[in-house]
Amino acid sequence: MSQVIDDASRVFLPGLVPDALAATVDVVEHEAMARDTFRLRLRCPELARRIVPGQFFMVRAPGRDDPLLGRPFALYDVYDEDGVPAGVDFGYIVVGKLTTLMSGWTAGESVEVWGPLGNGFPPPPTDGHLMLVAGGIGQTPFLAVAREALGLRRYGEEPEASAPGAVPRIIEHRPRRVTLCYGARSRDYLAGLDDFRMEGLEVRLSTDDGTAGRHGFVTALLVEAIEGGDRPDAVYCCGPEPMMHAVQQICQKHAIPCWLSLESPMACGFGACFSCVTRVREGDGPDDWDYRRTCVEGPVFPAEKLVF
Amino acid sequence: MRAPFDTDTRPRKDSLRLTPRKVPQQPIVAPPVSRLAVQLGRLKLANPVLVASGTFGYAREMQAFVRFERLGGVIPKTVTPLPRKGNPPPRTVETSAGLLNSIGLDNDGLEAFIEKHLGYLSGLGTALIVNIAGRTIDEFREMAVRLDEFPQIAALELNISCPNVSCGVDFGIDPRLTAEVVSKVRSACRFPVLAKLTPNVTSIAEIARAAADAGADAVTLINTFQGLAVDWRRRRPVLGAGFGGLSGPAIKPLALRAVCQVARSVNVPIVGVGGIASIDDVMQFLVAGASAVQIGTANFYNPSLAERLVDELDAALAGEGCASVSEIVGTLQFPGDE
Repeated sequence: MSQVIDDASRVFLPGLVPDALAATVDVVEHEAMARDTFRLRLRCPELARRIVPGQFFMVRAPGRDDPLLGRPFALYDVYDEDGVPAGVDFGYIVVGKLTTLMSGWTAGESVEVWGPLGNGFPPPPTDGHLMLVAGGIGQTPFLAVAREALGLRRYGEEPEASAPGAVPRIIEHRPRRVTLCYGARSRDYLAGLDDFRMEGLEVRLSTDDGTAGRHGFVTALLVEAIEGGDRPDAVYCCGPEPMMHAVQQICQKHAIPCWLSLESPMACGFGACFSCVTRVREGDGPDDWDYRRTCVEGPVFPAEKLVF
Repeated sequence: MRAPFDTDTRPRKDSLRLTPRKVPQQPIVAPPVSRLAVQLGRLKLANPVLVASGTFGYAREMQAFVRFERLGGVIPKTVTPLPRKGNPPPRTVETSAGLLNSIGLDNDGLEAFIEKHLGYLSGLGTALIVNIAGRTIDEFREMAVRLDEFPQIAALELNISCPNVSCGVDFGIDPRLTAEVVSKVRSACRFPVLAKLTPNVTSIAEIARAAADAGADAVTLINTFQGLAVDWRRRRPVLGAGFGGLSGPAIKPLALRAVCQVARSVNVPIVGVGGIASIDDVMQFLVAGASAVQIGTANFYNPSLAERLVDELDAALAGEGCASVSEIVGTLQFPGDE
């Protein structure tokens, strides 16, 4: 694997976002993806050039006190113009004040954005089977992960172009197989299925109500794969906390390396506020943990490090 | 109206020191050369725009967004004598035009602060004001003694007002305890001392007077207002710790009121903080009686704001024909003042 720096320092960055930028940018496109679920495209070449799969950025409505803060959104994909990165796409589901406001945004709307933030997913296992397990809106980080793992697109800057302290990332060696297991409440909420229809990606679906794919939770798809002799060599997971907890347990039981991308609420996204903390194991004892900031030490953590 | 605070001539109880000091008495900060220079008691600042403790991390986190040397000073997150895990999440929730938080003074303790952060903070090229909190007056004093070994620190700010840990509230709501902690810290170190006060009191002027009489170089007004967010469906507070402290634009009128009340009745420099998010907000605090300001919650959603406000303040003062910040401080006139 020709990653530029070692895995340990990737996963636990020392609380820094040295190459982040803050800018006021334009909405370029806004599309419905599924029920209550939308994709927004922002024009921001500087962000698009630097961001890697699993990283996120904050988005805010300018010029108003309510909603006041930005909200974190995972990179869905980078789009190009004239062959160079021009901006970012992200998916969201309408749940609160800002996302309700956002659902009325149209092309030309000015919005504030800062990023790239967080660590991102580690480079995938070489020549193995990478399984992406997504629940609800937790599928959004995985389009870029899948495209990168399948060699369909590169993300991040060449090492020599990166800011000091930034994490360059050019992946040369790829997993042999990539599978996406994606669960949602019901068929209406399955978002971006067309985007995930790409050469080499196997998509397995589940819905809580049985309206599409397997009837039940997405964790059943993971267990089925493991027990059916289709064991993944690494699992990347993003979704609601109970689901990630379950995936952590399943992977631990079967000794499968697993990374979880947390969806902690955040006030700043860059480590200043200490609100988005999660319990991270520091040793073997049951109480041997400390609160760590999801925004700068995550959002992606090795599953065995997290205490639910 | 009170006099401006360009000089501090009040007698100090602790002017006699038993041991001579080898280090310079004046903190190392950029020389005050412009109309923006201010003096808060013994503390000289290149400009009056500071960033509030707990909203700027340990500065490192802000490096992509702020040129630190442009700021009047940086106040890192509160340091306590020993490590504190802090409160369970959720630690913040947004409310109407505000932010309710209960972080719980999550920090690695004084020695880790010295080892991990002090070096970086010392090289920012701006005044470093270290915010400390102890559970007892002795803990405050001992922290001041330890930090006194580091002359690169410009001042101490005493967090006697955190609404989210039991150790803070007790000092800041009692004038006698406030006076005692201020005077003990003052006599334990060479630093100028800022007392950061809580608004969760009946008379903040009374507390500010106690701090001033005990030798505080300035008072920081105000810390957050105690509040509560309710998840009524679950019959639970939204925050993991229950109550929290409210900050952001929602509290600006309350903060201005506190600044004005203290400015009109107590002879002490004031650092105003609470919901500042624009140059107009800064000017309102100065006019109401603050000699300097801190940017707090706005750092979370507009991380380069503080730096920009320095330039905008210079222009605003020029526009008002002011040769110095002090010319505009406390110029607010109430009906009947004349």
